[in-house]
Amino acid sequence: MSQAEVKKVRRKMGKLERKNTLVAYSFLAPNFIGFAVFTLVPVICAILLSLFEWNGGDISKMKYVGLDNYATIFATKKVAEKGIEYFFNRADLGIALKNTVYYTIVTVPLTIACALALALLLNKIKGAVFFRTVFFFPYVSSMVAICVCWSFMLMKNGPVNQIIMALGIDFNKGWTADSTMAIWAIILVSVWRNMGYYMVLYLAALQGIPRELMEAATVDGAGKWKQFLHVTLPQLKPTTFFVSVMMVISCFKIYDVVAIMTEGGPGRSTKMLVTYIYDEAFVKIRYGQASAISMVLLVIVLLVTIIQFSSEKKFSND
Amino acid sequence: MKKMLSVLLAAMLVLLAIPAMAEDQVITVVTWDATTTPYLAAQKEAFEAANPGVKIEYVDVASQDYAVKTTTMLEGGDKSDVYMIKEIDNLINWQAQGFAAPLDTADYDMSGFVGTEANYAVDGVQYAIPFRSDFWVLFYNKDLFDAAGVEYPTNDMTWDQYAELAKKMTNAEKQIYGTHYHTWLSAVANWAVCDGVNTLADKEYSDLLYFYKLYQDLEDSGACMSFADLKAAGLHYSGAFANGNIAMMPMGYWYVSTLIGYNKDGTCNFNWGITAVPHLEGVPAGSSFGNLTGAMINAKSENKDLAWKYVAWLGGPEGAKATASVGARPAWVSEDVAGAMASVEGFPADETSKGALLPSGVAMEWPVAEKVADIKTIVNEEHSMIMAREITPEEGIEEMNERVAELFE
Repeated sequence: MSQAEVKKVRRKMGKLERKNTLVAYSFLAPNFIGFAVFTLVPVICAILLSLFEWNGGDISKMKYVGLDNYATIFATKKVAEKGIEYFFNRADLGIALKNTVYYTIVTVPLTIACALALALLLNKIKGAVFFRTVFFFPYVSSMVAICVCWSFMLMKNGPVNQIIMALGIDFNKGWTADSTMAIWAIILVSVWRNMGYYMVLYLAALQGIPRELMEAATVDGAGKWKQFLHVTLPQLKPTTFFVSVMMVISCFKIYDVVAIMTEGGPGRSTKMLVTYIYDEAFVKIRYGQASAISMVLLVIVLLVTIIQFSSEKKFSND
Repeated sequence: MKKMLSVLLAAMLVLLAIPAMAEDQVITVVTWDATTTPYLAAQKEAFEAANPGVKIEYVDVASQDYAVKTTTMLEGGDKSDVYMIKEIDNLINWQAQGFAAPLDTADYDMSGFVGTEANYAVDGVQYAIPFRSDFWVLFYNKDLFDAAGVEYPTNDMTWDQYAELAKKMTNAEKQIYGTHYHTWLSAVANWAVCDGVNTLADKEYSDLLYFYKLYQDLEDSGACMSFADLKAAGLHYSGAFANGNIAMMPMGYWYVSTLIGYNKDGTCNFNWGITAVPHLEGVPAGSSFGNLTGAMINAKSENKDLAWKYVAWLGGPEGAKATASVGARPAWVSEDVAGAMASVEGFPADETSKGALLPSGVAMEWPVAEKVADIKTIVNEEHSMIMAREITPEEGIEEMNERVAELFE
């Protein structure tokens, strides 16, 4: 081929490539536009807003305050005076942070354990389809209905306490009206509602474990427990990774259960980061401060996710 | 052909204009519980009858989310003409955000509001007109008192006498409670502001101690349902009292119209009456606290003159009669209005109940004050801790004092 011909072909290829790229972009565009309008722009606005004092009215009344909003939510003056204990025991952000982290640390492993246990139970039993539907049902039910029903069940003389009392444990407290139990009521409802969904993910993963591996393990003399520990569990690692990432993110964003069941109370015992943001933004109409808290939440979720992804290799199937 | 076309076009224009000419002018009013609040229907009917060709259209917003949703609507540039105001600080916020149109009240008679309209003024400019002024009274179930052979409560009763009466009326066997406290701070401890001196924003809360102790004593003795159960069950006070097993209940005057409605539709069929709320020794009998409900004109309304006509009517004597006609208490106070309130069908006929319509003083439930939204959050958080018995009333009050003081450091 002469040089001129090569150039010609290249030009043609270039054209084709450009055309292909354009087609690809046009397919991506609707999604990207949606993302930009409903996620990217609001996030950028929130970052900027966290540096302003604004009550939502006239935009000309927005006042640049630098990092003052952050100083307020972190109660820097008081912390400098009274130490870091002040932040975690008295400041709203510290308490909300503590509650949210506590909720996440308990809910994530508990949900994973319940979902996995259910999936293992339902993997090969008769009538599995029926039970799968039953356990999946809470996930598609209305959150408000679920929370209201659970509120009734967790009353002082409600059925849950009756069962606990029947077991011989002296327990006579209304769960949502007690500052130590209220967060457990929220954990309980969250685990109960979400385990069905994650069970389905685990069931799919269980179906995907090659039968040969199990057979090989049996031939090698591994019992059921060892099979689970050395074959099933390692094979489920990618699913566990996915589930844990999704769960940590959703746990940090907990709002609905709290809003319906406890409204953050009693006192501040179930105040979470998002209920705090809501309170600042829509009750006290301080958008700057609310945006600053959202930035704290964003950074935390981002950090946790980065840590999780950096250990992704450990979770891959090898 | 051209002529034909122009004639046709002209005819079409005329046809299009006819319905527009005949169309009523509409005032959109943002409010809460529009379908279940009797006075809203009465006001609409009376205003439309007095102003032919003008229609009121309510925009219904859920009661408990009212402040949040309406603020979002206003921020979004909503053009509804009138916004009703549930809490005074909503208006103060909206005014600061530029959503409330200033009202020209130079020629408007506000004497009937007996000074309450000042709560809706900022820097001497009126931004809203009150049309309802609720204060708290004590409801009681006459049938239960008759059955127990105990004398009815009176308009001059101290809190100690009230507590004694509540215990006397309690009958655990028959599941009769002497009294009922809704979970709100206002139902339990707000009474401290009735003296007209204390307020909930005065940064000092030791005046609430007496009322928390009184409540806990009643709860311990089984004279009222426990806070924990009420909270978990989400039991609404209206249903609780209507059940017929509660002898007394301090509640806002608005409950009168609910009870009249319940009597009419058969939800409850017992006889009831109202008295002034009990008072502390040294505070005049008939002292109560209350709240205002008003209406403001949206700064973005394209119909401000007509909206003002409606708002002015709503607060004034004519609107007040419509409000009173269903048992709600208007902000405009006059003998006419008091007469209208007492003559509502279903309102208890006894003199004590009529006497309770004339409180000796009404303090504001929450004053207009700096950082009042933050103070509200703190006081309510500590209130829920005290009520749930997580902390003692003394500890709770100390926390209120400390945390509110920190706000101003």
